[in-house]
Amino acid sequence: MRFLRLFIIYLRIGLLYELQYRANFWIQLGKSIMNLVVALAGVAVIYEHTTNLNGWVPAELVALLGIFVLMTGVLGVVVRPSMEKLIEDVRDGTLDFTLTKPEDAQVLVSVSQVRVWQLIDVILGPIVSIAALLHLERQVDLQQMGIFAITLLAGTAILYSFWLILATISFWFIRIENIFMIFHSLYDAARWPVTIYPGWLQAALTFLVPVTFAVTVPAEALIGRLTHDYLMLTIGLAVALLVISRLFWRIGLRQYAGASA
Amino acid sequence: MRAWFGDIYRTLFKIELAVMFQYRAAVVIWLIGLVLQPVIYLVVWLTVAETEGGRVGDFDAGSLSAYFLIMMVVNHATFSWHMWEMGYRVRSGSFNSLLVQPLHPFHRDIIQNMAYKVLSLAIVVPVTALLWWFFEPTLTPDPWMWLALGPAIALAFLVRFFFEWSLALLAFWITDTSGLNNLYMALFFFLAGRMAPISLLPTWGQTIANALPFKLMLAFPVELVMGRLTPQQVMDGFLMQILWIGLGWLTVHLVWSRASARYSAVGA
Amino acid sequence: MTTIRCDKLTKTYTVPVRDPGLLNAAKSLFHRRSRDVEAVKDVCFELAEGEIVGFLGPNGAGKTTTLKMLSGLLQPTAGQVEVLGFKPFRRQRDFLRQITLVMGNRNQLVWDIPVADSFERNRAIYRLQRPAFTDTVDMLVELLDLAQLLDKPVRNLSLGERMKCEVAAALLHRPRILFLDEPTLGLDVTMQRRIRTFVAEYNRTTGATVLLTSHYMADVEALCERVVVIHHGQLLFDGQLDDLVQSFSPHKTIVVDLETEEADLSDYAEVVHSEGNRVTLTVPKELTAATTGRLLADLPVIDLTVEDPPIEEVIERVFSQQAQVDSDSAPDASATS
Repeated sequence: MRFLRLFIIYLRIGLLYELQYRANFWIQLGKSIMNLVVALAGVAVIYEHTTNLNGWVPAELVALLGIFVLMTGVLGVVVRPSMEKLIEDVRDGTLDFTLTKPEDAQVLVSVSQVRVWQLIDVILGPIVSIAALLHLERQVDLQQMGIFAITLLAGTAILYSFWLILATISFWFIRIENIFMIFHSLYDAARWPVTIYPGWLQAALTFLVPVTFAVTVPAEALIGRLTHDYLMLTIGLAVALLVISRLFWRIGLRQYAGASA
Repeated sequence: MRAWFGDIYRTLFKIELAVMFQYRAAVVIWLIGLVLQPVIYLVVWLTVAETEGGRVGDFDAGSLSAYFLIMMVVNHATFSWHMWEMGYRVRSGSFNSLLVQPLHPFHRDIIQNMAYKVLSLAIVVPVTALLWWFFEPTLTPDPWMWLALGPAIALAFLVRFFFEWSLALLAFWITDTSGLNNLYMALFFFLAGRMAPISLLPTWGQTIANALPFKLMLAFPVELVMGRLTPQQVMDGFLMQILWIGLGWLTVHLVWSRASARYSAVGA
Repeated sequence: MTTIRCDKLTKTYTVPVRDPGLLNAAKSLFHRRSRDVEAVKDVCFELAEGEIVGFLGPNGAGKTTTLKMLSGLLQPTAGQVEVLGFKPFRRQRDFLRQITLVMGNRNQLVWDIPVADSFERNRAIYRLQRPAFTDTVDMLVELLDLAQLLDKPVRNLSLGERMKCEVAAALLHRPRILFLDEPTLGLDVTMQRRIRTFVAEYNRTTGATVLLTSHYMADVEALCERVVVIHHGQLLFDGQLDDLVQSFSPHKTIVVDLETEEADLSDYAEVVHSEGNRVTLTVPKELTAATTGRLLADLPVIDLTVEDPPIEEVIERVFSQQAQVDSDSAPDASATS
């Protein structure tokens, strides 16, 4: 399908680009490993003092951490760089070059930038989660795996739509580069199960910046805690946001095309 | 000479304040991150305390809240960002205009930093008050601790600023210092008392933390005002801070001339 | 009195080298090749106090690199340089307070605040006493017509206005040495003239030494009696501007637009380029008037312009003549190559 073909083309370009800066590979590897070590060390310090964090035992928390890393990678490979580039293009007026190409504009702007080395996180994350699951000696049946996969896809779709909506806002308010920082700050909270946070913060993490669905929900699915209702909610939200973000994008494009002088 | 420095600092401070005000939206957004992380870890530790019958180590819910909220304020007062920017300045050649003028870039950066802190007080104070009301921390310091807090924070700021500015100078030798910066941030996260009060770290972690200057940059003022330090320990702390400021000054002084020698401006 | 002295000034850069393609990109992850680039090589010249000297050369010739070495930004790889008795590279405060470098238009001014505040900032940095500072500001405001601009944030100014303010800010401390790197780049004709007039006036009033780089002949013709020409990092010419023009561009270029396509104009002069109805000819200076007359008389001319060859051409000619001289005087060409 076209989307995949375009993604691979841009992946190759991204790869060529990144290989110029040989240090980036080592730096990203170092960063990912260090982030992981820091996170694990943090978990270790916590569990020196308790065996149970709001119902989560250490291995479960590590599994959640693995999902966090995986999602960071998924977002970092293509969603984040492409959306940041989109905002730049809107600001500099260079979005025109994309709009004159014979492909759907939303597809093009969504895969325009590929940071290949973020794939390191995409590989590291699952490794950590699998190791944690093995430690738990818990059986994960096929149905559970299926649900997990669905929540991952749904989570990715939700976050992608959210980023797209944020980026589309730049059609009206051009100088919003920093808006993504809000996301990063709130996303950091997703390292821990969202249920530990006070009500207002949980609400922010679910309704304002939907990171709950990115990390906690798939993690709960993986260790078998996800309720059926919540699963339906997640899927529903994913579909709804994909539709809403597409509509919003179309409106934003019309605004952009109309406004350029 | 001293008069001139007063003049330079006063004038540049006013100007940096004006510039920073133009970027107030960005300032607010940065503050969100600065506030959120301590809150996240406070909640995590409070959850632990709840499970363990209300206490973790020598902290209860009230003192945990006090620690993290005060730490948030002190962290805000002492942090800097120049290690992230130095590389950009070197590569883009924007250092040129700084080097041609007869003022050491160090002064500019510290003034800019202070301007940011002063401007962001407008947000930090109400937000801290709000969080204070929500988390209900317990804090009963003796009067002298209040007096000692100001100097402790000021010295902590200088220790950290000199240290991080020296670190930033590595950008003259290494193209991409983000790896090193991240390593520093990781060490700081544990050893300065951001992730947890130092007494909650495993014993070997505490030993390392006490040997390194990071806690002087953050945990020391917090512990001081919470009454967790004896007057002797406070005096020792101040002395160590002064020592590290001296070391920092020396480092900047020695490395700077070599750094500017390394500086190969880009472009024809 | 000599204010600037360079002796065999040299600057060499090391740059990485990589071949294109995915395989080579992957290889470069582990093994890096590099080569040396001689940006400036064995440059020698001296400037006396109060001179305005033009520093000419095409892009990449080494002008900016030399200026950076003179202002202390770069350390020379080899050779000596001395400005006002200081070694620029040591960047001593007393040295920095007597020089100024104007390079681009984003250096002296703070983007988001009024121009007057940027001036105030420089006052503090250069430690200027308020009375002297006020006098200098008044002088600059008048000479450059800045009165309306002082309370506007820099980002609201046009390019030309910004450049004027940039130059003013650079001169608040009344430096004895001015290094001007392409000060008129990107400005409209009126503004270019304004800046040129100002520099001449400033030089006349204060006796400052000015080293000006440009690739606009017009800047140089207006301000400089003496020029130094540099190409590929090497000094090619140091002398009076008239001599340079006389020696190395004895030709003029005539561009003719005709009503119809003409077959061959080579009777009139050497044809450089012919496309459709436009023909470009090159003619010895002395014959310009005569040739122009003949063209106008004989042919259906819509438009005719007489131009100086671009300075790149002059430089190329200087360089190729130098290369010719070198190879002629070399005892055995094959042994040295």
